[in-house]
Amino acid sequence: MIEIKDLHASIETDEGEAKEIIKGLNLSIPAGEVHAIMGPNGAGKSTLAYILAGRDDYDVTGGMATLDGQDLLDLAPEERAAAGLFLAFQYPVEIPGVNMSMFLKTSINAIRKQRGEDELDALGMLKLIKAKTKELGIADDMMKRAVNVGFSGGEKKRNEVLQMAMLEPKFCILDETDSGLDIDALKIVAEGVNRLRAENRSFLVITHYQRLLDYIKPDVVHIMADGKIIKSGGPELALELEEKGYAGFIGKAA
Amino acid sequence: MSALALKPENLPTPKDEDWKYTNLSRALGDLKNVPAQDVQEILIHKTSGEVCVKPEDIMWKGVEGQHQNLRLKIVLEKGAQLTLIERHVGDGAYWKNMSTEITLGANARLNHIRIQEDSAESIQTNMVHITMERDAYLNSFSLNMGGKLTRHDIHMVLNGSNIDCSLNGVTLLKGNQHGDTTILMEHTAPHCLSNQFYRTILDDAARGVFQGKVHVHQAAQKTDGYQLSNTLLLSPKAEMDTKPELEIYADDVKCSHGATTGQLDEAPLFYLRSRGLSEAQARMLLVQAFVDEVVDKVSDTALHDEIKEKAGRWLEAALKSDD
Ligand SMILES: Nc1ncnc2c1ncn2[C@@H]1O[C@H](COP(=O)(O)OP(=O)(O)O)[C@@H](O)[C@H]1O
Ligand SMILES: [Mg+2]
Repeated sequence: MIEIKDLHASIETDEGEAKEIIKGLNLSIPAGEVHAIMGPNGAGKSTLAYILAGRDDYDVTGGMATLDGQDLLDLAPEERAAAGLFLAFQYPVEIPGVNMSMFLKTSINAIRKQRGEDELDALGMLKLIKAKTKELGIADDMMKRAVNVGFSGGEKKRNEVLQMAMLEPKFCILDETDSGLDIDALKIVAEGVNRLRAENRSFLVITHYQRLLDYIKPDVVHIMADGKIIKSGGPELALELEEKGYAGFIGKAA
Repeated sequence: MSALALKPENLPTPKDEDWKYTNLSRALGDLKNVPAQDVQEILIHKTSGEVCVKPEDIMWKGVEGQHQNLRLKIVLEKGAQLTLIERHVGDGAYWKNMSTEITLGANARLNHIRIQEDSAESIQTNMVHITMERDAYLNSFSLNMGGKLTRHDIHMVLNGSNIDCSLNGVTLLKGNQHGDTTILMEHTAPHCLSNQFYRTILDDAARGVFQGKVHVHQAAQKTDGYQLSNTLLLSPKAEMDTKPELEIYADDVKCSHGATTGQLDEAPLFYLRSRGLSEAQARMLLVQAFVDEVVDKVSDTALHDEIKEKAGRWLEAALKSDD
């Protein structure tokens, strides 16, 4: 499904110097699997997510990333979305003046159009929104509010999962979707993700905490530090990490 | 009030503090020397308690080569209610030298919607004087799209308590257009609310000016006075000058002003594109939303939709020409 080979990326700092953030990262996620990435603050986890989604603040200086064999790095962000990539943002963006239902409608139809499918009519859209909001325990009146404006932390994260459920992507990246959630909200969000698990869909779950992985069971856990994956293993790796902390692992790798 | 809002023999110049960003004399050129037409006046007078359910629609037409002397006078007596639509169109080069006088008695309610689509060669100056008495309500919206140079000069005096007034505007300019909105809001009585909310989009080498002053007199305790001007620049040659000011002599008030000028933010653009919208579609959605937040202050549905559509067409053309 997703193949990342020897990826290098840097950002231009305010002083005009190139700062390398991703330093030769390799990652391969087969179809149907859930992989978790854990790592200390500043390891480059969000940067990796943004690069895959196509934010253009970064210079990819080497390596490759493909989704089902298709080169991702050459595509515009909207083309990646149409190809089936979805990023649940760590910090969902506020869009004043654009209400949720208008936003969802525009997004779904933009993707359908790129995929050469017919637009969803008003009734179909309404039904889809009703069904998905209900599953995620999202109140109807949220659809009338401006996207993420004045949303609580939990509402923002639920909104990301709502969009993911509606767009039915092939490859989902969740960037700290658990942070800022209380335990009830965490369960709802995790159930939302688990409902989407399928043979032809893969997940990359970025998190700091073992807690989320109790609800979303990963197939593989990777530890990332300083722009690289330094260790990969089964779900037990997350527990080991919880015990030893990052320091133990980073020390070992060095 | 004099018949002429501005006297051609005594025009303001950029040396006057209030006019420093707007050179009227230069923009007028030969029109300065054209003798003024006879006064054209529209007087709207609603007597005490008169509630007009249907909006009134008036139109001022600019005529090539003329120096037009326009006067609009609106008097709503105690408790009267009115929605007024004021349209501006025209052909060729002309100068609409206009004065507007609005008097709202106690409890009177006025919705004033101005749709200004003057010709690209025209000049409009509008000297506005508004006085309001206690419990009166004013919701004014103006869409400014036309004219080579326009100056909207509003002096408001809130004379009684519990007044609720909002001045909203959307200004969309391209080419070498110049649009100036200058407001002096005077709170002289306690417990009043005034809200100024203006958004401007400038393309090409257009120039916008927003000067707004909220003056809270000593007697005007418990004043809420707000002022916000946001500008989007679609071109590196466009320019915006803003001068927000607060002058407060009462101690128990809530006042704020803010002004921003810039381009579309990258973060919402990327967020929308990551959800499948093309760059052009994302830009359009964001500029439309920027404008809609002000247009939404228009409560009449038909007018709201008409304005939204006019602005939408302008935005579409502006974004298309940038591709
Ligand atoms: N725009 C930027 N300018 C400079 N440094 C940045 C920028 N964005 C991220 N970084 C740096 O890149 C590193 C990785 O950041 P990030 O990907 O957000 O880490 P994580 O998500 O793992 O906490 C950090 O050291 C951060 O300071
Ligand atoms: Mg992060």
